[in-house]
Amino acid sequence: MDDTTSLSEFEPKPTKQVIEYERQLFQARFSPCGKFLIASGYDATIQRWAVSGNETKRLSPCLGHHAWVPCLAFIPTTERIVSADSWGQIAVWQYADETPAPVWKNDAAHDGWVRAVAVSPDGQRIASGGNDRMLRIWSAADGKLIKEWPHPEKIFSLCFHPSGSSLVSGDLKGVIRDWDIDTATVRRELDARVLYQLDKIQECGGVRHLSFNHDGKRLACAGQKTPGGGFSTGFPCVLVFDWDDGQLLREMQMGKNDDGFAYDAIFHPAGFVMATSCAFPGKGFVWCWTPQSEKPFFESTSIPNGRSLSLHPDGRRIALLVSKSANGNGRVLVQGVYQGGSAQIHILEF
Amino acid sequence: MLGAAAAGGLGLGTFLQPCVADELAKNDKQVLLIWLDGGMSQLESWDPKPNTEFGGPFRAIPTSVPGIHVCELLKHTAKQMHHLAVLRSVCTQDNSHSAGVARINRGDPKNRGVEYPYLGSAVAKLLGPTSSGMPPYIWIKPNSGGFKASDAGFLGAKYGALALGDGKPPENLLLNKSISSEEDELRNELRRKFNDRYAVGRRTEWTDANSYVYELAQKLMKRDDLFDESSFTDKDRQRYGTHELGRHLLLARRTLETGVRFVKVNSYHWDSHGDNFNASESLISQFDQPFAALIEDLHQRNMLDNVLVIVMSEFGRTPKINSHVGRDHWPEAWSIAMAGAGIRKGVVVGKTNDQGTFVEDKPYDIGHLFHTWFKAMGVPPDKMEYDNQGQPLPVAHDDCGPIAELLV
Repeated sequence: MDDTTSLSEFEPKPTKQVIEYERQLFQARFSPCGKFLIASGYDATIQRWAVSGNETKRLSPCLGHHAWVPCLAFIPTTERIVSADSWGQIAVWQYADETPAPVWKNDAAHDGWVRAVAVSPDGQRIASGGNDRMLRIWSAADGKLIKEWPHPEKIFSLCFHPSGSSLVSGDLKGVIRDWDIDTATVRRELDARVLYQLDKIQECGGVRHLSFNHDGKRLACAGQKTPGGGFSTGFPCVLVFDWDDGQLLREMQMGKNDDGFAYDAIFHPAGFVMATSCAFPGKGFVWCWTPQSEKPFFESTSIPNGRSLSLHPDGRRIALLVSKSANGNGRVLVQGVYQGGSAQIHILEF
Repeated sequence: MLGAAAAGGLGLGTFLQPCVADELAKNDKQVLLIWLDGGMSQLESWDPKPNTEFGGPFRAIPTSVPGIHVCELLKHTAKQMHHLAVLRSVCTQDNSHSAGVARINRGDPKNRGVEYPYLGSAVAKLLGPTSSGMPPYIWIKPNSGGFKASDAGFLGAKYGALALGDGKPPENLLLNKSISSEEDELRNELRRKFNDRYAVGRRTEWTDANSYVYELAQKLMKRDDLFDESSFTDKDRQRYGTHELGRHLLLARRTLETGVRFVKVNSYHWDSHGDNFNASESLISQFDQPFAALIEDLHQRNMLDNVLVIVMSEFGRTPKINSHVGRDHWPEAWSIAMAGAGIRKGVVVGKTNDQGTFVEDKPYDIGHLFHTWFKAMGVPPDKMEYDNQGQPLPVAHDDCGPIAELLV
């Protein structure tokens, strides 16, 4: 990817395909088979769309969560997803069913807000963590608790190394831990503390997302550099580490200090990072950046307020989830009704 | 106009009836106002709406009062609910900081072309010092201290607040060890002579205030134990927390114990326009722990029936969650909590709709609350008026009255 002439083919372009949803969503992901788009929401639901060519059709949702569903992950080799909510429930669903019911669920998997789930590459284990500072490993097949251990801080993000040898956690304070699951011990820590700040009296930031590239040699972690309190201003930022030696390869800082959190960062098989950020309405953007380069080769503010990015298995399409919720003080009524926020999923193409 | 001729020695310049003056002279009620500058989200604190469109991620938890639930971020306070009263139907007028701070702190009286005092200055005027003789109005705040006259409005600088910046005594308050008490008295005598000469031909309220601050300082110098942080136990520090608000509420407890009439504790930066839910976790825990400890301590010390405790902000926060996962300013439907002197225990008054967007039954403005608090303190707002150089002024909004459901 050092040849910049080849990068132009990886500049995502909007299509006319935009999926509207009436409430805000946390993430929207293509299924591994590419036939479904699955999204989790603020409304305790998991929404599904069937994907066929350039057409999408909304399907019945997965119902049964109690509160926000910020966590969603596919279970490899199956047609199942795992989801988790902010009241501590974890559930596994057969997402391709006509009317999905939980394969299993645990209402008290955690005490309170589950902020991250991850699935082992072999699809056998699910890791979860959140506000209760407990890391738990579950059997993906039946939900049986396999192992648990305390985590030093609130867990904000999790991912498995592609080899399955490590579970990686990111926390509020910007510490990334490489866990040996067998011994429940930390092998080493990576420093992402630029994504945290105690601003006056408020603890701000955290490692909001973690992902490996396909061969596990690089780790991307997303958040906000110098995050502030109040308006929560800061620079969208993705840190890319060399996994073998733990060294920081690239600090991908974007935009201005009010462009918000980088909520998602994924590796394209070609090696570059795609990321998106969200702040107040109209702020935040999408960018593509190779770790070898000092600057992104693509950045766009044409579709702001991105919350997640998902690459279709065809390697050509991208689902960009954005938040649509105005800010402002006081009473704003539209035709006499107080309005909440909504979401859009934009389909982009290379 | 009420009994102008009957104004007693207490609250000079305040019109009141003789029987009221007698009662007020015996009144040793105290007040603690916890001011969270900006707004604490009502949905993440006193008025949770779990699993609704605007409810956010948190759970509602039961409290020590069956049937009353609060947000899980108030886990310590929930255990003290039997001492508290929460008004969930607060509806105020301003959604901006610039107008909201003063309007709420002054009780939003009708505009009569004067600058009304903040609640602390009003109480300092209406009730004066307690029998302890301690300064009537102390303000514990972050950053700088000193004498802050701006709260007093038309009452004059004398009724301002003595601010303890970061809980520390005013600069140079404590007597230098090289000066004996006799030498100190001699220099004070000289100062008084200078002051008297300076006062000739100058406006009385300013020269009075100047002398008054010296008198306050002298009283405080005799209570330097107030500022000795080392005398707090490790257990107290642990219970209140070592963060700013925890330390300041622990100092507030001691300040009340010394007999200060009105103590205000400010905490700043409650303004989570972005990332509200992580912000609420960070901020509300800093309030919850020491507040619960304070209520428990005031009760155990048999002080709670004498101390009115108020927790308020400029406004609540929008039900709507904006794209930056924040909540903006929302005066339409929010909550204020209180406890102690004259206030019913273990009650929730008022109700918002199922979505938490608007007040469902009768909305109450800050004027109603000033009436309520004055009445709880034994200050009858309907029998008292300020005398602003001959201009009679009601002590609280004319069109409002006390909220009976909150009062004992």
